[in-house]
Amino acid sequence: MTAKRRHSRLGALYTAITYVVVLLFIFPVLWTVITGFKTESQAYSSSPLFLFQPTVHQFLLAFGGGFWNYFSNSLLASTVSTVVALFLGVPCAYAMVFYMHRKRSKNLLFFILSTRFMPFAAIIVPLYVIFERFNLLNNIFSLIIVYTAMNLPLVVWMSRSYFMDLPNEVMEASLLDGCSKWGALLRVAIPMSVSGLTATALLSMVFAWNDFFFAVNLTFTHSGTLPIMVSSFMTNESLFIAKVSALATLIIIVPVILGLYAQKHLVRGLTAGAIK
Amino acid sequence: MNSIRNRMHIPGVVYLIISTQVPFLYALWLSLHGWHLLEPYLGQPFVGLHNYYYELFQNPVFWTSVVNTGELVFGSLAVSLVGGTGLAFLLNRPFFGRNVLRALVLIPFLVTPSVSSLIWKNLFFNSNFGIVNWLFGVMNLPNVAWFSTIPMESLIIITAWQWTPFFILIVTAGLQSLPEEQVEAAQVDGAGRFRIFAHVISPHLRTYYEAAILLGTIFIFQTFGKIYVATGGGPGTSTTTLPFYTYQVAFIHWNIGHAAAIGVFGVILAIIVARIMIRFLDREGGQ
Repeated sequence: MTAKRRHSRLGALYTAITYVVVLLFIFPVLWTVITGFKTESQAYSSSPLFLFQPTVHQFLLAFGGGFWNYFSNSLLASTVSTVVALFLGVPCAYAMVFYMHRKRSKNLLFFILSTRFMPFAAIIVPLYVIFERFNLLNNIFSLIIVYTAMNLPLVVWMSRSYFMDLPNEVMEASLLDGCSKWGALLRVAIPMSVSGLTATALLSMVFAWNDFFFAVNLTFTHSGTLPIMVSSFMTNESLFIAKVSALATLIIIVPVILGLYAQKHLVRGLTAGAIK
Repeated sequence: MNSIRNRMHIPGVVYLIISTQVPFLYALWLSLHGWHLLEPYLGQPFVGLHNYYYELFQNPVFWTSVVNTGELVFGSLAVSLVGGTGLAFLLNRPFFGRNVLRALVLIPFLVTPSVSSLIWKNLFFNSNFGIVNWLFGVMNLPNVAWFSTIPMESLIIITAWQWTPFFILIVTAGLQSLPEEQVEAAQVDGAGRFRIFAHVISPHLRTYYEAAILLGTIFIFQTFGKIYVATGGGPGTSTTTLPFYTYQVAFIHWNIGHAAAIGVFGVILAIIVARIMIRFLDREGGQ
């Protein structure tokens, strides 16, 4: 056997191992989706069933129980907070990159990031009291306010990094050509970083969609989001594994698809620019 | 361009101040006052540092929750660091379907955390019909009552599963930015695989690991939904972390003053971690 052939065999072995490991790693998600297509008795069989007659019955059940109500709350909270965070955060990043002294811009960035790294538990008590006073408890509006604050730092640091990638000459030329600073933002900076900003919006939606902490503490009884729906299943209907799996599948489809679409920007979004 | 005045950053900054700094100052105020929502007739008297004194010196649950937080954060970090490194190296070789697998391994990170907890608890760690115990049975291993006998370990497994993709992403970013010339130069100089790894690859990856560990610490510290769904902080207080304890004191016992004090203590802890991180970002240039 030549060295080259031995090498390629070893390579094939590594590839096979990689496939097996990845499959095992994402198996919990696959198994959930599979279980969602079972009947309850199939889901409870003593040894795991891989071959069975699939049914969409559990999905139809999952759509009951106020699903669409929870769904619209989730959708509303994550999209509106993302849009507001973009409106506030993109101009902020633009001013920081093109109109601010480096030192000042950096200090401001540290302040903005520090708000994101602050433990949520520290502000939940005052937020609860404040929202109660303004009659906003159990109102989706309170989640929109909080998710906007949660996603604003993400929007600032991501759009800042995209703006910093723009060639400075292009921005200067656009101003010399008579663009106002808003014109330069709307006609040059944003269009030139549109794919990055789209990814930013998607990640921001994922984070809001996946939140449980604020939702359970601020809007538990009314205006709950989908994670709240699932947690109520936990205590009341823990014997319905197939139904819970179907519901879980419906909830995780959204962040998985959005996140995979934006995957190339995930590192940037998660590391606050510590890693390019 | 600095000559043109631009105040576009102000609305965003003002929003953040109102939504995070003002509540935090209010938390400070609340932490210095007694306020029990179930006993409104007691009012909100100023109690000085009593809330802090009680939690720090008279309440063992507080320190249990601090230790639990440390166990959860460092346990999950250790497991996801090792797992993430392994997967990142496996996925770094060129092979058929690599990009698809690289996308698929991100899924655990994107799955709603409270939902992933529900899945693990019912489909995998259920002691009667969970798939893990079925597998143990096939291998003639004893049945394990996951969340009742080893709750923290079970929680760490779930948390590490979710955060492994985070390490895969960052280690992959590190591997992709390897200084090729240096690796080649070392090969030309006759350095073996091990020496190349020890002297070229690992110093380069170090900064990536530092970033991943610091950010991971901050993010995993916030874990809440998983605990709520999987264990509710129990059995007893065995999985009660600092954020979860804050929640219990505030919304189960309705003791606003104490909860605010615990929250403020959490911020002090976070500031210590953040300071290390800022130094790190400064060294990297940050700008």
